[in-house]
Amino acid sequence: MAPTVPTAAKSASPSQPSGKSEVADLKQQLRQLAGSRAPDADDQRRDVFKRVISCMTAGIDVSAAFGEMVMCSATSDVVTKKMCYLYVGAHARAHPDLALLTINFLQRDCRDQDPTIRGLALRSLCSLRVPNLVEYLVTPLTTGLKDPSAYVRMIAAVGAAKLYHISATACLDADLPASLKALMLSDPDAQVVANCLHALQEIWTLEAANSESAAREIERHYIASQLYFTLLNRIKEFSEWAQCTVLELASKFLPSDNNEIFDIMNLLEDRLQHANGAVVLATIKVFLHLTMSMTDVHQQVYERIKAPLLTLVGAGSPEQSYSVLCHLHLLVMRAPMLFSSDYKSFYCQFSDPSYVKKLKLEMLTAIANESNTYEIVTELCEYAGNVDVPIARESIRAVGKIALQQYDVNAIVDRLLQFLEMDKDYVTAETLVLVKDLLRKYPQWSHDCIAVVGNISSKNIQEPKGKAALIWMLGEYSQDMHDAPYILEGLVENWDEEHSPEVRLHLLTAVMKCFFKRPPETQKALGATLAAGISDTHQDVHDRALFYYRLLQYDPSVAERVVNPPKQAVSVFADMQSSEMKDRIFDEFNSLSVPSYLFTDKDHRGPFEYSEDLTNLTVGAEDPENVISAQRYQENDNDLLLSTSDKEDNGTRVSNGSSTSSYNAPSDLISPSLLSSQPPAESALMTTGVPTSSSLSNFGLDDLLGLGVTEAPAPRPPPALTLNSKPVLDPGTFQRKWGQLALSLSQECSLSPQGAAALMNPQSLIRHMQGNYIQCIASGGQPPNYKFFFYAQKDGVTAFFLVECIINTASAKAQLKIKADDGTAAEAFSTLFQSALSKFGLS
Amino acid sequence: MPVAASAIYFLNLRGDVLINRLYRDDVGNANVACAFKFVVEAVALFKSYFGGNFDEDAIRNNFVLIYELLDEIMDFGYPQNLSPEILKLYITQEGVRSPFSSKPSDKPVPNATLQVTGAVGWRREGLVYKKNEVFLDIVESVNLLMSSKGSVLRCDVTGKILMKCFLSGMPDLKLGLNDKIGLEKEAQLKSRPAKSGKTIELDDVTFHQCVNLTRFNSEKTVSFVPPDGEFELMKYRITEGVNLPFRVLPTIKELGRTRMEINVKVKSVFGAKMFALGVVVKVPVPKQTAKTSFQTTSGKAKYNASIDSLVWKIRKFPGQTEATMSAEVELISTMGEKKSWNRPPIQMEFQVPMFTASGLRVRFLKVWEKSGYNTVEWVRYITRAGSYEIRC
Repeated sequence: MAPTVPTAAKSASPSQPSGKSEVADLKQQLRQLAGSRAPDADDQRRDVFKRVISCMTAGIDVSAAFGEMVMCSATSDVVTKKMCYLYVGAHARAHPDLALLTINFLQRDCRDQDPTIRGLALRSLCSLRVPNLVEYLVTPLTTGLKDPSAYVRMIAAVGAAKLYHISATACLDADLPASLKALMLSDPDAQVVANCLHALQEIWTLEAANSESAAREIERHYIASQLYFTLLNRIKEFSEWAQCTVLELASKFLPSDNNEIFDIMNLLEDRLQHANGAVVLATIKVFLHLTMSMTDVHQQVYERIKAPLLTLVGAGSPEQSYSVLCHLHLLVMRAPMLFSSDYKSFYCQFSDPSYVKKLKLEMLTAIANESNTYEIVTELCEYAGNVDVPIARESIRAVGKIALQQYDVNAIVDRLLQFLEMDKDYVTAETLVLVKDLLRKYPQWSHDCIAVVGNISSKNIQEPKGKAALIWMLGEYSQDMHDAPYILEGLVENWDEEHSPEVRLHLLTAVMKCFFKRPPETQKALGATLAAGISDTHQDVHDRALFYYRLLQYDPSVAERVVNPPKQAVSVFADMQSSEMKDRIFDEFNSLSVPSYLFTDKDHRGPFEYSEDLTNLTVGAEDPENVISAQRYQENDNDLLLSTSDKEDNGTRVSNGSSTSSYNAPSDLISPSLLSSQPPAESALMTTGVPTSSSLSNFGLDDLLGLGVTEAPAPRPPPALTLNSKPVLDPGTFQRKWGQLALSLSQECSLSPQGAAALMNPQSLIRHMQGNYIQCIASGGQPPNYKFFFYAQKDGVTAFFLVECIINTASAKAQLKIKADDGTAAEAFSTLFQSALSKFGLS
Repeated sequence: MPVAASAIYFLNLRGDVLINRLYRDDVGNANVACAFKFVVEAVALFKSYFGGNFDEDAIRNNFVLIYELLDEIMDFGYPQNLSPEILKLYITQEGVRSPFSSKPSDKPVPNATLQVTGAVGWRREGLVYKKNEVFLDIVESVNLLMSSKGSVLRCDVTGKILMKCFLSGMPDLKLGLNDKIGLEKEAQLKSRPAKSGKTIELDDVTFHQCVNLTRFNSEKTVSFVPPDGEFELMKYRITEGVNLPFRVLPTIKELGRTRMEINVKVKSVFGAKMFALGVVVKVPVPKQTAKTSFQTTSGKAKYNASIDSLVWKIRKFPGQTEATMSAEVELISTMGEKKSWNRPPIQMEFQVPMFTASGLRVRFLKVWEKSGYNTVEWVRYITRAGSYEIRC
């Protein structure tokens, strides 16, 4: 926001007269007029001044005429005076010595009989921003604050803040803050009061940042409810802008009891009807802040502010709608139910600018729930054919996001598959990315999707992301897609024409996956892929190809575990926005952070990409393997120096091995047995925090790594978890265990709104969880934040689960930290716990 | 810090800075709604100074005036007074079309600055008119989004009541509407049953700062001391019970790859005595349109290539009638073009005088002034198309 001096204005445009001669001419004229007493001198002066100002605006340097301008400043014409002030204000900072010349006439004008002149002179005097003139400022300011004219007082109040910025000590020495405060509490004119408030807030904020004692002092001012009530009682007198300031201040108020809260809310309720959207938003902020700790009133506030907010979306300029929509988005993040029945208000108009459309799409995504998903998705599908391609893309992504929120997946999958039939490049590409993400969450849909995806020719997809998604599916589901190996082979043949490294990386992995699923058909392609990959110029592609190659050389079964590990469906995709972030931003409601927060969100888009990396890395097992292979191969430097052709030979050799099981590692490399590779893996896991305490641990580890059974590629469902109905754990043991065990899981989940409301009585949650065999050992907290410690025991074993659960009733979110004796079951327990929690309040 | 701005820049369409005014250095996290609203209001202020033509030339020719205004509307980044009525009292220059510019003195009225900050910031004292008149304009824009199957996806009315006051002294005005809550409250206060008749429910209302909001909340009446001249008294929004003035029934047939048949029927469903003006129906056609031919029962239609639409204009459209346009469109067949053409929605423009889509009516407008003069009140209604879109 720093004002940068535009270069366009600085360099005179060619149509303008060249600066130098023009300025000289003006100087000449001014000099003639300076002493002139001719009857039309005033008019002439006015004209010349106008020309000077025009030159200045056009970017011509007119500072040379400074002296002449000051000489001509003695005039009774107000407009000429204003121009003179403007000129002086613009040049004083760069020419502090010349600015001294102006002090005289400005000070004289400060004592003029016309309040307008007094005010204008005072404003200009304070705007000079020249440190060595500070001494001349204090007296006019002090008298200005006591001026009989409100206009002058109003200017003097802001002037005090200006002085503070030039020299804080001068401002404080003259005791201006005290005068300002007295004026603020007593002045009959609202604008004077408002400006005093502006100035004081600025001075106080900066003072508080500078010294502890000042901060405490100022804290006292802020706490005094007298200040708030004096201003709030007069709020109707203030201009709309000043109202915003007062409301902003009110949102900092810490009420001493509920009566004060209701007093303020009653006082301000009619502000929600104000025509100025800024006033409405500021009022909303006050309401939300005041009721933060009163869950039920907070909900009522949400209901109350709905209508005004929806009006603001439709009224005013698109920019205003945009900023209001940003706020709505923020509110919806905290109270998703808020607008769920008003979803139609967020349907896009054809004429909306695209930045508004984009936000509306996000709103639709955010408010989708069981009751409105069908309508919303139908509407979003309309946009997929939109002429505005970015919006069409965005709407397809929105459909996908809703699908990932788990509502009515059935219908959505059908719609997504219909998109593929639209036969438009960008639609297909976006849809493929989504289908891929969907499959990772709902593997049960693979059959339907694969049937359609299999028909898409990869030649028609140009966009790297879409192509990568298709290739991923080809690799992942190669056993279900008849043509998969041949399609992949075709893609490998055109390796050199593939410009995107992302696609080439995916192609590498997909061919590997396919190889392990259908070895005979993919062999040839694998060789070609590795060869092409190793000679690739892109470092990542090269590294991955080399890594795969050596992995295969080292031990194909290890390679299979790395490339094709048993996968579990992704339950929650990593989300960029943490709840803390949202809460923090909420403090800055109605400020520029809100829209810009959404901007940064866009820039860092890609929650899916992030989680994508995770799956590519596979479940933890890879790291130790990586280390081993790296170490081993460092010994064999020759290999690194192999020429490309050699590598190609090697590549074919690799694929000559007819199948995984019969493949033999090159003799020069001792293939360590599975067992020997296990200890490092285990120790690595120990350090990453899965506790191994009982005899169960070995089994658990094997399970996690897929090491125990080498021939088990299919993902196995986690064993069903049942809990002991009457676990016993004394607080001492709990504390000890909590200290000892590492964190198995940390998750965030949401409560039903009813549940959040029912938490007014924390005992009810404890009883509810007991019904689900989860016991509470300690609880506490103040609304809206509660903290609980729960424990539960796996049925028939001694393994305990310990849970720390922090619930925020205002946002209806719970943060879980789970520690378990048996880390492998933590995931299952977490699911169990969350389902129990989500049912709270519904019965 | 609730500062609105550190500077104001005026740019032209190419992005050149025409004029700028720096108020202070960097500011913190500004109040976003305030900042946007300020800019919008500032533009409105400049428009009112330049008689609506606020363009590059107006800026280039009025640097001094703009600087003067920029000085008054904001000080050190804090918005001050943006009310054109008050500012025009003491900032005047040649080239300004202002009712006050006819005053002979170049110097400001000595106490003008007192007015600037007076308690009734929007009205000055001592106004005298020979004939006391009030003009009320109820202007509604009806927004519609209809699906291709003919069901209403979204429909609402945003209305505003514009007022032009030429009243002497400091009058107190009271406006009565046929909104449900107001009528019920009135019946309750006068303890008699509410009059039957059409009442409407306003979803949300916002008022000009002159309206006494406390009284609105307690008594549900709109009472105010109006500014002089023209202003926007209130805005409202209605989503229930909207009377759509027009129904549009499009049929579009694609005959092969090079021909289309378009048939649009428009029905007016407002009262038979009323009529709509300036009805325009825009039917989008593909980019590769080569030739068009039309038949219309009323009005004229033509193909406008710059917006890729058939534009059908009907100057006057009586109520309870219908009009049809049938068009044949020939397309250039192109090899690259894919089979599907995404049809943008049909858009409609119209104005229907003396009709409100919401059903809002002014029941009374009372004027009290201590001198007790008589006033003449004029009330007009008009409904315009906001974004009236029919998907096809």
